Amino acid sequence: MANLSLKHIYKVYPNGAKAVNDFNMQIEDKEFIVFVGPSGCGKSTTLRMIAGLEPITAGELKIGDVVVNGMEPKDRDIAMVFQNYALYPHMTIFENIAFGLRMRKIPDIKRDKDGNPVLDKDGKEIPVMRKYNKQELTEKVNEAAEILGITEYLKRKPKEMSGGQRQRVALGRAIVRQPKVMLLDEPLSNLDAKLRTQMRSEIVKLHKKLQTTFIYVTHDQVEAMTMGTRIVVMKDGFVKQIDTPKNLYKYPANKFVAGFIGTPQMNFFEGTLKKVGDKVEIDFKYSDAKITVPYSRLSKTTPQYLDGTKTVYIGFRAEDVTLDEDKVAKSAAKIKVRISHSEELGTETLVYGDINMDGDGFAETSTRVIIKSAGFKEYQPDAVMEAALDIDAIHLFDEDTEESIMPRIPEYNYLDCEIKGGNISFVGVKPGLPEAVKCADGKGELLLPVSAVRFDGDIKAKVTDNENVNGQILVTLDVNGNRLYALSDKVLPVGDINIGVDYKKVTIKTDGGIVTPMPEVNGLDGTFVTDKGEKTYNLLINGVKIKAPAEVYGKMFAATTGRKVYNSKFRYEWGPYDIEVSDAGIEAEAVRTLDYGDEKFVECKVGEETLYVKCDKALSGRIYLAPDAGKVGVIESERQIKIV
Amino acid sequence: MNSAKVKVAKAKSKRVLDVLITYCILIVVAFIFFFPCLWLILASFSKSGSIYSFDGFFPAEYGFDAFKSLFTDTVMYNYPRWFLNTLFIAVMSCILGTLLTILTAYCMSRFRFKSRKAMMKATLLLGMFPSFMGTIAVYLIMTQFNLINQQWGLILIYSAQAPMGYMVQKGFFDTIPYSIDEAARIDGASNFTVFVKFILPLSKPMLVYTALTSFTWPWSDFILPKMLLIDKDLYTVAVGLMSLGETEFARFAAGSIFIAIPIIVLYFCLVKYMINGMAAGAVKE
Repeated sequence: MANLSLKHIYKVYPNGAKAVNDFNMQIEDKEFIVFVGPSGCGKSTTLRMIAGLEPITAGELKIGDVVVNGMEPKDRDIAMVFQNYALYPHMTIFENIAFGLRMRKIPDIKRDKDGNPVLDKDGKEIPVMRKYNKQELTEKVNEAAEILGITEYLKRKPKEMSGGQRQRVALGRAIVRQPKVMLLDEPLSNLDAKLRTQMRSEIVKLHKKLQTTFIYVTHDQVEAMTMGTRIVVMKDGFVKQIDTPKNLYKYPANKFVAGFIGTPQMNFFEGTLKKVGDKVEIDFKYSDAKITVPYSRLSKTTPQYLDGTKTVYIGFRAEDVTLDEDKVAKSAAKIKVRISHSEELGTETLVYGDINMDGDGFAETSTRVIIKSAGFKEYQPDAVMEAALDIDAIHLFDEDTEESIMPRIPEYNYLDCEIKGGNISFVGVKPGLPEAVKCADGKGELLLPVSAVRFDGDIKAKVTDNENVNGQILVTLDVNGNRLYALSDKVLPVGDINIGVDYKKVTIKTDGGIVTPMPEVNGLDGTFVTDKGEKTYNLLINGVKIKAPAEVYGKMFAATTGRKVYNSKFRYEWGPYDIEVSDAGIEAEAVRTLDYGDEKFVECKVGEETLYVKCDKALSGRIYLAPDAGKVGVIESERQIKIV
Repeated sequence: MNSAKVKVAKAKSKRVLDVLITYCILIVVAFIFFFPCLWLILASFSKSGSIYSFDGFFPAEYGFDAFKSLFTDTVMYNYPRWFLNTLFIAVMSCILGTLLTILTAYCMSRFRFKSRKAMMKATLLLGMFPSFMGTIAVYLIMTQFNLINQQWGLILIYSAQAPMGYMVQKGFFDTIPYSIDEAARIDGASNFTVFVKFILPLSKPMLVYTALTSFTWPWSDFILPKMLLIDKDLYTVAVGLMSLGETEFARFAAGSIFIAIPIIVLYFCLVKYMINGMAAGAVKE
């Protein structure tokens, strides 16, 4: 019955190992969140940090509206179910379930022996905290036991019960207190397959019934897909993707998620993409296979991948490849597959093959292909057949970063442009360039971030589509027949609209020169000091002390326990709007003024660092910067932890 | 068919032979162990009392005189007094020592703090030296604290030394899954509640062992009481028996046998706890 907020959560062990890296998530009330990932990915550690069993190195954890970082587990109003049940073996089931209630006190008013309220001098009731009485205890335990169907076992001890029953008791112990958040740490992995499936649906039912926030940890992707309203996929301490089961399956953000979600695993091939006219040729490596895809399908793909030189991973799920003759005959994307063997699963047959005629189809290579086919269909080993690929279901990933190269929200619009006499022309419009981005005449490319398209200005455009991607609306625009993507926080009506460009964020690469975007954060190195007499704590940058507010230094102290905060180096970051030009503060050398038309910034140097500060006046020479300590971002340099 | 029968017969005779040999060895070993006991018991029933009047190896005449004089002739040698002294010291040391041992073991098993490893190694190493190596030091310290010739001095030493053997207890605590602690803490229990309500009830067998060891040592120790106790009225049984005259061997033997009785009784009472491992079923291993 509460939402959770995890902001920049880190877990770093004393030996320097990072178990959890910069975990950010908003969990809404009544959600069923599943953390999934291979062993050692940090999913259990994150859960234990939420429970309070593991201290949080850095970051902020809120349950409801309360920051609970330093709170004891019992005060967080959470309940947890453990993988090994962790029942109390010397107590009966009743006592096991009742223990949590016995430890708790509930608000009441002072009463005399007969249960009548005792009033104070003013005739008011006196509030007191009392323990649950026997009748209340029995009632609550029975209620929980009834939900889970273990009423008849209440007098037994845990050792007299089977695995499934014990897990029910563990669940009962958790629900009897009606916690704000239920945490479940691989609760089903000790059960056999049949019981696991049964308990899986029972837990889902329980979630519906209790209307509480559930956080569930598992390494089993089937459990994750079937139970979660949203899934967090983790690997090596990093969050790989947070999304609904459907979106994870349809739009994996990277190769890891693509391979982890879904059985059998997605087929990955290596290949190159080459744009020819309005089509894209996909050339598979280590094979003669080649298919052609219309460019509209890959319009979000970064152009640098489309020149036919860069190798990418091409992913197709087993069900998106077919050997069905009718479909193959109709399909435009056909590849030759040499069948090696098949696995019959009853409802379907998994056919293993290779797109390389010399491949054996057993090893997990970049030519092996698994194809889902109808049940009990037999295929001749070593036969060469044609398979059809469903090009709408293609997934493409970068070879090095393994990130998707056709993300749901592309970072940039890549546009051809020409600069002439201080004007820029792209997609058929010719707006004037502001002073700050003026550059020499020439032809080249404009990188227009989707977030830099504003819905005010004088460029005429048409809204053609809105796509909701996890709360952000990706708007597809049409400007003189060119497709443009923009981000919006609300759905825009299809039709005419005026747009503008935020030139702070654009990159222009022409033969006349390069204009880079203004950085969104200014970083400065510094340390942390205290004034002993006055008990104030300061950020020290270039010999200038900036008084830190309590919430900033509190977090810095908390994150550096065991390592002296005074001996650590930090990097302090501010946005251009959070620093003021003042008559005292950090000494800087004004270099030039950047005029973006409606806004002006001063570019200045502090030592080696270049800073950009919002300032409407034209400045030169020595200036002083006064950053807002309340809006600082703090990164501990040595461990690279974002603290504030 | 026939050869199979022969084979079965052969196997059977081999099994009988195995059992026979095993029992023979066991009987010999049992005799070796039991003979000194038997001799002591016989000696305690010697009528004359002195070892010099034995008829060869065994007493010449038997009677209950030694046991009688043990409890009646208390002017010179106050055996009942010594017995009560020993009981008091042993019981107090047992209570205090067990308490300290389980607390130490709980700390070492459940908490992670700086120098924990160093402390564990140090205690292990110190525990390897025989305790009498420190007798001179102990004597000097006790003189400083003015605890010479006092029973509480002994109790203090015994209780303080007991936690040196915390390792066994810690080993048992370690087998109790940590997730039980965590579940209890989430349910709202404090460290103390976890200890009292979960760890202790779950480690009954080991508690019995720890209590027994911290009882038996003061019960049968000789060196420390001999050194620290001066008054004859404060003697423990071990020291008292040593002060018996040369002709009082039967009384010595009787006293020795009598002091073994409480331990035997204790052992028989508690043996079922020691053997019965705690009921399984807490967690799935």
